[in-house]
Amino acid sequence: MRIERKSWNDPVFVATVAPLALVMVAFFLVPLLMTAVLTFQTTQYYRLVWTWDLKIWTEVFSKPHYWTIMMRTVAMALICVVLTVLIAFPAAYALATRLKTFKTQIQILIIFAFLTDAVLKTFGWILILDKNGVANWLLMHLGFPPEMLNLLFTPTGTMIGMVYNLVAYPMFTIYLSLVRIDRDLMLAAYDAGASRIRTFFEVTLPLSRPGLYSGAVLVFVLSLGAFLEPKVLGGGTSPLASELIRQSFETRVNWPLGAALTMVLITIGALMLAACAAFVLRRPSTGRRPA
Amino acid sequence: MKKGTADTSSNIGAMKRRSVLKGMGGLGLGLAAAGSGFLASRRDAAAAESLNYMCWEGYNAPSILEPFQKSKDASISIDLITDSAGGFAKLAAGASRDFDLVSSDSPWIQRMGPAGFCRYIDEADFADQFAEFYPQFRAPFAPLAFEGKATGLPTRWGWVGPTVNTKFDKLETWSSYAPVFDSAYKDKICLLDWGDWPIMPLALYAGINPYEELDDAALEEVRKVLRAAFKNTRAIVADLAVAQKGLIDGSFRALIGGGTYATSALRMKGHDYIQSIVPEPKNGLKQGIIWMEATGLIDNGKNSQIAADFLKYIVSPDVAKQLAITEATCNLVPNSKAEALFSEEEKKALQMDYMWTAWDNSQFHTVAPNIDDMLAIWQEELAAR
Repeated sequence: MRIERKSWNDPVFVATVAPLALVMVAFFLVPLLMTAVLTFQTTQYYRLVWTWDLKIWTEVFSKPHYWTIMMRTVAMALICVVLTVLIAFPAAYALATRLKTFKTQIQILIIFAFLTDAVLKTFGWILILDKNGVANWLLMHLGFPPEMLNLLFTPTGTMIGMVYNLVAYPMFTIYLSLVRIDRDLMLAAYDAGASRIRTFFEVTLPLSRPGLYSGAVLVFVLSLGAFLEPKVLGGGTSPLASELIRQSFETRVNWPLGAALTMVLITIGALMLAACAAFVLRRPSTGRRPA
Repeated sequence: MKKGTADTSSNIGAMKRRSVLKGMGGLGLGLAAAGSGFLASRRDAAAAESLNYMCWEGYNAPSILEPFQKSKDASISIDLITDSAGGFAKLAAGASRDFDLVSSDSPWIQRMGPAGFCRYIDEADFADQFAEFYPQFRAPFAPLAFEGKATGLPTRWGWVGPTVNTKFDKLETWSSYAPVFDSAYKDKICLLDWGDWPIMPLALYAGINPYEELDDAALEEVRKVLRAAFKNTRAIVADLAVAQKGLIDGSFRALIGGGTYATSALRMKGHDYIQSIVPEPKNGLKQGIIWMEATGLIDNGKNSQIAADFLKYIVSPDVAKQLAITEATCNLVPNSKAEALFSEEEKKALQMDYMWTAWDNSQFHTVAPNIDDMLAIWQEELAAR
């Protein structure tokens, strides 16, 4: 495929790119800049005072509890990525290769998962995970001791909610990658004597990487902002970054602090994504000697 | 500052907070909001006068607003708040120019004075209204005063103390906050995540009066008591329905920081075994807290007469009675004449036989000088948990 280089002198190119660029500047860069500026302000009697001050940043870097919560958020997001991908990949694989008869119905169900509001889905889990909930009722009728599971208002409850609410994203992106794989490549691997497992690891998995990575990135970014699950299913006792930011903006009415914590979270997320991108896009070694 | 999770602004006729929480299905909500917005804009166009009103749930009930709109040929646009501090911050950020009046927690109405956007009320103009109030709320009413001037009128009130399910615990057990720290109650305590509400009772138990100026030693005591309380806490819940469900099924043995606001509606629905009480004074320090909502006029340069008329209307006996009994919560009102309008069931649900006992054993929830320090400690201890 020939890549055509575009020039900023090309009016058609500028006209094509300009609307998107304007949208990005207006609705992403400018708000981000305003948030950054806000971090250097102070508040007096719940009102912003427009001075340039490092007081908030000093507080952010001197109070370890902010970083404890940030690190907990990143750890939860990474665990969520691993769990969602582990669940989504086999499901997407089965959908792409084995469940072709019910493909449309299953796709509709996945779309419903996107359309159903996260508030409803999250609150619904209370009825299942509660001590007197469906899960314990079922286990009790299977002969297990009563109230065996105690998952509601625990970090595990938070994780269940996060995985449940986000698993549809990687399922969809991985499925899209899998259906685009040329089946002849797999057949060629079989012809060359590769087993099913080897074919999966050397053909299917590498070729499904775009969907895998994009799904993982989506889950990671959304997990960093998880708010409902720790609040509703986690019981608020192990708050994540979004709750910390909410408390700063809303309860403490400290907008500069909330803005600074937002910038910290965005920066951590961006750095982690950049590191992942560098890892994914690294030039693979061919193993050949130069001629 | 307190109560709830969803942040929804709406015009009159739009869904109430609880129905929004129940049915956040997206599409239906969008259509309803669009529909109500359309209707409101039609009414705005037709009405002679308009009023922009920031308030908590209950104040926006059509049964309260519509008679006023009809009698005054006015339209009222509602901005429903779910967080008093957030509502105040919005006003302080410049929205005070757009609003005529606000109903919020009383410390935030009082704060409008020093913040510079309060339209003070002339107590003489409201003499008839003050005369109808219980003596405890009559002018001059210190909790709403700034530099001797009244910043608003009280509209709803109640108390904060342990909320107990008497099917599981005797009330006498909760004559002090001691069970919160008792290992027998490990993972059985629920704190309401309503801003400073759960902090104040725990500070009082530690022997600290949070409504006074606190030094570092006192703040350290607050830190210790919060740390100890978190050890037994099963959940810190912002959603009223979740807290109420846990209390009814016994997974929470007590709610701390919710008080009557969290329980009266349950009692109204027949769960009269749920009670909010006030602990006995400890070492001379009253352990209960009286919370109050108030309605104040905003200085937006318009000096609107209709806003003042609405303020008189919202505290009138008939309206106060409606304000007391809403779908989501049930609360006491300061108008003594409204008391005659309550049925016996309603009086029982509101624990009216206990209200002055609670009052006598409580601090009044006013502006706490070190509130930001205490909220910061709350955050720190929660992170370290």
